[in-house]
Amino acid sequence: MIRWQTRQKVVKGALGGVTLLFLAYQWFPMLTMAVLSFTGPNGGTTFPMQDVSLHWYRELLRVQMVDDFKPPMLRSLLLALACSVTTAALSLAAAQAMRARFRGNGAFFYLILLGVMAPGLLVGFGVAVVARILGLPLAWYTTTFAVHIVWTLPFGFLTMLAAFNRFDRRLEEAALTLRANRWTTFWRITFPLVLPGVIGAGLFGFTLSYDEFARSFFSTGSEMTLPLVIFAQFDRQLQPTLYAIGTATTVISLTTVAVFAILFRLVRLRTRAAVSAETQ
Amino acid sequence: MADHDLELKRVTKRFGSFVAVRDLSLAVEHGQFVCLLGPSGCGKTTTLRVIAGLEDADEGEVWISGVRMNDVPPWKRDIAMMFQDFALFPHMTVRKQVGFGLEMLGRPKEEIRRRVGETLATFEISPLAERKPDTLSGGQKQRVALARALITQPRILLLDEPIGSLDFSLREAVMLELKDVQRRLGVTFIWVTHDQNEALALGDRVVVMNHARIEQVGTPEAIFERPLTRFVASFIQGNNVFEGVVESVEGDCVRIRTPVGSFAVPPRDGGPPPPGANVSFSVRAALLTERPGPEQANRLPATCHAVEYLGSIRRYDLRLEDRRSIKYEQFGAQAARIREGEVVTLGWQVEDGILHAPPEGAG
Amino acid sequence: MNPRKRSLVSHVLALPSALWMLGALVIPTLFIVWVSFWTTRTFSLESPLGLLNYTKFFNRPTYVKLLADTVQQSLLLMAITVVLGYAIAYFVVMKVRQPALQLGLFLALVIPFWTSVLIRTIAWIPFLGVTGVINQALLFLRVVDEPVSVFLYSRTGITLAQVSFYTLLATGPVVYTLRNIPPSLPEAARSLKATPLRVFWRITVPLTLPGILIGQILVFLNVMADFATASAIGGNKHAFLGNIVILLYDSGQLPFASVIAVLLMLCMLGGVAALLKVVDIRRLGVP
Repeated sequence: MIRWQTRQKVVKGALGGVTLLFLAYQWFPMLTMAVLSFTGPNGGTTFPMQDVSLHWYRELLRVQMVDDFKPPMLRSLLLALACSVTTAALSLAAAQAMRARFRGNGAFFYLILLGVMAPGLLVGFGVAVVARILGLPLAWYTTTFAVHIVWTLPFGFLTMLAAFNRFDRRLEEAALTLRANRWTTFWRITFPLVLPGVIGAGLFGFTLSYDEFARSFFSTGSEMTLPLVIFAQFDRQLQPTLYAIGTATTVISLTTVAVFAILFRLVRLRTRAAVSAETQ
Repeated sequence: MADHDLELKRVTKRFGSFVAVRDLSLAVEHGQFVCLLGPSGCGKTTTLRVIAGLEDADEGEVWISGVRMNDVPPWKRDIAMMFQDFALFPHMTVRKQVGFGLEMLGRPKEEIRRRVGETLATFEISPLAERKPDTLSGGQKQRVALARALITQPRILLLDEPIGSLDFSLREAVMLELKDVQRRLGVTFIWVTHDQNEALALGDRVVVMNHARIEQVGTPEAIFERPLTRFVASFIQGNNVFEGVVESVEGDCVRIRTPVGSFAVPPRDGGPPPPGANVSFSVRAALLTERPGPEQANRLPATCHAVEYLGSIRRYDLRLEDRRSIKYEQFGAQAARIREGEVVTLGWQVEDGILHAPPEGAG
Repeated sequence: MNPRKRSLVSHVLALPSALWMLGALVIPTLFIVWVSFWTTRTFSLESPLGLLNYTKFFNRPTYVKLLADTVQQSLLLMAITVVLGYAIAYFVVMKVRQPALQLGLFLALVIPFWTSVLIRTIAWIPFLGVTGVINQALLFLRVVDEPVSVFLYSRTGITLAQVSFYTLLATGPVVYTLRNIPPSLPEAARSLKATPLRVFWRITVPLTLPGILIGQILVFLNVMADFATASAIGGNKHAFLGNIVILLYDSGQLPFASVIAVLLMLCMLGGVAALLKVVDIRRLGVP
């Protein structure tokens, strides 16, 4: 007769094993790619690695490569920046609007959430079709930008909704009784306190746009974003340069997240310190 | 001799380095209403959970109806439990909830349907049968939780602060209802609370706990009138606690010197403490008088600081020389009111003082 | 500010977002539907409307099979991720006691999502090929004598990669709903004679059902429209509906491509409709 406590422990162990195996499963490919990117000049695209060097990274920066990767990377970064700011602004406005429960806000909510449900393929295709019909040219700073926002806005929106949910309405009411009008109240009281949410929305805007591939696929013209260039390169031939750029761009993505996260924490800590200082 | 319904033998439970229950022993007879009383963190809830089997004792044994339960999981123990937040299953109707325990026991459908119907009627919740918990009021949820627990006819019902989340006005009524149910059904109740009014009103036996230990076990009267330790005296309202050093022991009388005076207190069973020992004792506020006569050998001057009117009782907050508070209660409207700032001399009979047992580990 | 003016301000604040979503999402979708009814083969604004392209689709067995394949792949992923996703969610939420470890596990699971799916897809190539890591490991462990070619350019490879991408979609919502279960509920069930297995099936799973469903819908939608994984890992030997849309678009057959897009959308709407019947998404946001 097995003790029931032992049985529970076995279950826990099994589930833990599955989780850890999955973690490895998820991380291994990326780590492998990162490791392989340091292979020597004669190294192929798989193991065993010949030498360890920064050869392929240097290849990235060579003149020939510069044409291939540098402009697209710049475009991706600019696009991501634009998406970041736009997402933050639109999310803030949309979430603030939601607080008033205006007529049709249920439909509005679902309209925005539609952006998550709609797959990138279809959205990109749709915009391409419209552009074709209207005779508009496709470009990364117009059509692709529009499509990216459709994807990032719901995430930013939900983040802001959560931030407003945690926000204490009574602080605004207190400000109003102290002779502040709504505009001032918003910028001096509400905004600083939901700033972490705004930063979060901006983060989504940036990383989701920078990494985005499927949505850009149809909607970008001849001047491509980085993921598209990577894909095109990949179609032609698989070289360790691809691993190098893949690793490099992943590092950029993760660093951005880390920076935003630190910013987020700093703002949160500062607001919390200020609030507790007030209430002491 | 009949088995106890419940026996805890030197149970210890730790969470990391924190000892929640230390070397606790307790025996409960069948049909008793036992209250575990104490402040937050004293270990009463942990004790309850060990009885239920939701926590495992690190040391010691749990016996229910004469059977050792240490390795028996909660679903195999002859217990049922009521939680402070009622823990009703949000996705089930009242009918399904109440029948849940019987379903788990594998009773036939017909029997379940019949017994659920009867139980709903007994607890007067039949009209709620098809409702879901989120549509019920606090009092209704309480009844459903009770019905759900008792339908399995457990030997022991464990209740974790069951009326704590009810509206104040409801509590008294529900308290009496539960006491009535216990008496009618004869189920052993173990009720955990930090509210002494609940414990003293409901329990046949009260177990006062503090810092993972039992301080005192007794009837409500015993706890109230003869607190055994300093903690129990301070915890139970209406006691005045004094600390001092034993001056001398004269026959039936222990003389104790405190910062506010010297007093005579009868010794405990088990012999008087030696001179020089640090002791504490208490006197109930109701046993003091502001017009001490020759029987009230102990005297204590005090200044009136504030007075509380509680209907037929006046409760005074009197201050001593060292600015400590003394509680004094006056009964009846006839007694003359002591005015604020007035100095009175309180007195009490020697035999009304209760000497406390020393804290464990003390010399 | 009177209520009417306040409502006006709200409408003004909501307008940009609403217009954007309408203009970049809703209207293009309507256009796709319109174009799908064109009866010409190529692009022509004056094209008469009819079901020609739809009948063309359903008359070609290859295309119908494609639709079936895509749905099948989605169902396969749903089946895998529902179990795997739940197991992971259950472990991290219910079985891990130390908050630091829990947070660490969450981060380890979620961080890959902050990178590009394309990069992650590409990263799978060195794994799956004939000279890839998996084969090398198998050879090393002497499980096989020759490299197995079943991984790359195959459904299996695509499935393997997709599991690594989409399982978290199934885990996330389940984590959320699991955390919302008060701990006293399973304890109450246990005190009512329910064994751990029965507590799981009768209490935990029903209460996390909304999370399971949302996760499944997300997996379904993503796999249905996935073309990058099929393209990168399947080579040109395997295609799902998404890949065909690209093919047709590249060869200028917009109407036919639109038909496929519309069919994809219909499948997805069907899935979402099923979800909305069972759970109210908005209520999940409010604790």
